[in-house]
Amino acid sequence: MQEIIIGIGVTALAGALAAVAGAAEDTESNIGSQGDPNSQVQLAPQMGYTHRIYNKAVSGEPPAYTLWVTLACGVAWAFLMMGMNAILAIVLGTVLATIVQGVYATTAYLGRTASLSKFGQPVFTDVLKSVTTVTMGHAFVAIFTTVVICYLLATVIGHPFSLPLLGIVWGLALGAAGSATGNPYYGKERQYQNQKFGAGVPISASGNIVRYAEAGQRSSIDNGFFTAKFGGPASGLCFGLIVFFELWRTVLFEHYLAGWGAVIAGAVIIIIFMVIDRYVEKWARENYGPYTEA
Amino acid sequence: MSVKVEASHGGIPHGKIAAAGIIIALVSLYIAVIGHEVLGFDYFAFFGGIAAIGALIWGNSAIKRLCSYGIGAGVPSAGMLAFGSGLFGMFLGIAIGAMTSVWIIPVAVLVIALITGVILGWIANTVLNMKIPVMIQSLAELAAVGALTTLGLRTVAIGGLELEAGFVFVAVGFIAVAFMLGAIALQHPFNACLGPGETQDRTNMLVIECGFLSMIIMAVISFVAVSAVAGWISLVIAIIGWAVSYKKYIALSKRDAAAWLDAKPFVDAEEE
Amino acid sequence: MSAIAAKAGADAGAFQPVPSIIALVLAIIVIAVGFVLGVGQTLCLIVLGAALIAFGVHFVPVGGAPAAMGQAPGIATGVPMLAAGAGLAGLFGGAWAAELGLAVALAGGAIGGALMMAITCLMVNMSYVFGMGIPPASGKIEKDPLTGYTQPEFKSQGTEGHGLPFISYVGGVIGGLLGGLGGTLIYLELLAFYEAVMPAADAVGLAGILAVAMFLVIAVLAAYNITGTIEGPHDPKFKRFPRAIIAAILASGLCGLLALLLVALV
Repeated sequence: MQEIIIGIGVTALAGALAAVAGAAEDTESNIGSQGDPNSQVQLAPQMGYTHRIYNKAVSGEPPAYTLWVTLACGVAWAFLMMGMNAILAIVLGTVLATIVQGVYATTAYLGRTASLSKFGQPVFTDVLKSVTTVTMGHAFVAIFTTVVICYLLATVIGHPFSLPLLGIVWGLALGAAGSATGNPYYGKERQYQNQKFGAGVPISASGNIVRYAEAGQRSSIDNGFFTAKFGGPASGLCFGLIVFFELWRTVLFEHYLAGWGAVIAGAVIIIIFMVIDRYVEKWARENYGPYTEA
Repeated sequence: MSVKVEASHGGIPHGKIAAAGIIIALVSLYIAVIGHEVLGFDYFAFFGGIAAIGALIWGNSAIKRLCSYGIGAGVPSAGMLAFGSGLFGMFLGIAIGAMTSVWIIPVAVLVIALITGVILGWIANTVLNMKIPVMIQSLAELAAVGALTTLGLRTVAIGGLELEAGFVFVAVGFIAVAFMLGAIALQHPFNACLGPGETQDRTNMLVIECGFLSMIIMAVISFVAVSAVAGWISLVIAIIGWAVSYKKYIALSKRDAAAWLDAKPFVDAEEE
Repeated sequence: MSAIAAKAGADAGAFQPVPSIIALVLAIIVIAVGFVLGVGQTLCLIVLGAALIAFGVHFVPVGGAPAAMGQAPGIATGVPMLAAGAGLAGLFGGAWAAELGLAVALAGGAIGGALMMAITCLMVNMSYVFGMGIPPASGKIEKDPLTGYTQPEFKSQGTEGHGLPFISYVGGVIGGLLGGLGGTLIYLELLAFYEAVMPAADAVGLAGILAVAMFLVIAVLAAYNITGTIEGPHDPKFKRFPRAIIAAILASGLCGLLALLLVALV
């Protein structure tokens, strides 16, 4: 019984941490401009639109976050093996991972921008200095919370995987959840604020991203203000739900029916989410559109 | 929509870079073996990092050659494929080394990974009908690069190439760190520098920078397994190498950039 | 993935009978070698797991860069990584349940992957509908075969569709299910094999990282087959899956044999 109570506590804590991680991850990737929407940042100068947006083309978010989280987990585990206090070890691991993230971010921005010299896109060193530090701050939050989740799973719940291996699993899931949920909101809603609301961006408008802020010229930090209102929390909810339900179904129901309880609980949760999705789609079709007569 | 993959032409040909990379990688690995087997200390662990950098230079050139064809998925996925397939060759090479002699390991790893890569390349080109002329060669090279880089980073962390010491590395999952560090370091330089203004020396400098950065992390982790002196040697060399290459990379970016502005607005052609 | 969603080969859709047969023959040889070395059964199950992964990747609706601008339906990220994200989430669940027996662990892995995709796909639609006011619409079909909703009139002008119609949603869940199942099967087979000869911690570490590596190889090969983006099981590209399965059988047979030789030789 005590085991289950501890398990529930870990589940709740891990779910909450995951929500923070997802929100920070999405905000970080939007400020740095990483992942698929970055194709437009890359494209804009070629279409004649010079801009002051960051260009953090490290890789897609999932591989990048896999590296940051695995790295932090590995370094933290090394420090733990050397007898360091757990919290200190995790913080130091996260700090190292954040530094690596910052270095990769700067080299990506410099590399991509310098390669666009033909189109007259300058390197803005003030953007480099201000935006890199902001993304590093958000990355620290995202990495730290994810590493803590992995640490809880490895030590308290007793998952057989070692900490860095859990880092690969949950870093990848974090990047996948954050990019899936957050990317459209940054890519469509913020980069193409000048396009019609409630419709996709016409392919002909590609590259014509918004480059001016409420005052002055937009830098990537202005994108963070915007996406932190919806894309960030939505990504946080996504990753939080994934971690929470993945743990919850196992911790509570694993002891029933020789382990099948957790499977059945998972299947029921999936069906519930499917029903919600059907409702959302139905609601959208009734309230928006159609765009053209059938 | 999608951006065309553009890369510089000319420069040092791929064959020469590949040869240089492979020689750096193998020689460095053998120096590490000499240090561990003949001289009996692990101070040469840092040569594993040099080996990784050599392999990455080779891999970067290969990835550039492959991706200029447009492979239907991003540059990062090629890095993942390289390390995923290379890992099998690396483990088997080390196991063969355990049966015979540690001196065989670098060559065994290289050969097994090349064979794995050739078969994967053949699959991609014929079964999946990708029909990319350099596919088989590139995937073979990338698998070898993945295997050698992981082997090199592993050497930094545990001081030698043998099997026995290595299982600490696997059991606590440090192999996962080496795997991801290598996979991102392999795909990042070309991915970050691609565009019409890509220059070979700048991209290669970024490869070296990524290699040393990965080495810093492995050096920090290495304190678990190697002697403190060896750990500090690796760490100091990695930090110095990283700082020098990072500075040079920034200088090269400044050279290639259209303009280098601090706190200035952009000037729009349409506004003038 | 990143900015470079590059163009595919000219007739990338065609099935290649001759190379496919050669590949299958090679795969049978590899498996036969496995039987000679006494690891045949394990190898067969690893190959089965890889085939499941390759099949599952084709179900996952991925729109790549255009999806991030609401220009194409699907999830706005790369194929291999999204599939791997779901598959590894499944692997996490499967590894956790490993001590409860093979059947429970496999089911746990499958459900883990499906759950990850069910939540992700729901949040994608939430983001489109409540964040941007865009209803889901497919660009490849007239009518959603599951709900009967007609699609073209809900497609905004100048785009190929957006969001995840229900068929894509179901595809995502099935993709996660198959990916989690296949990944867990590979992991459990490797684990059982390694546990017999080495300490448990080493076996878990080795089986875990090799399962991840194999998952990535298969997922990237399947993504090459898809050439970038796919809407789900209703997409014409879905019909290419036999090629990916054949590719996965040979690739995993080879990688699996190397992974098993590791122990068979020592």
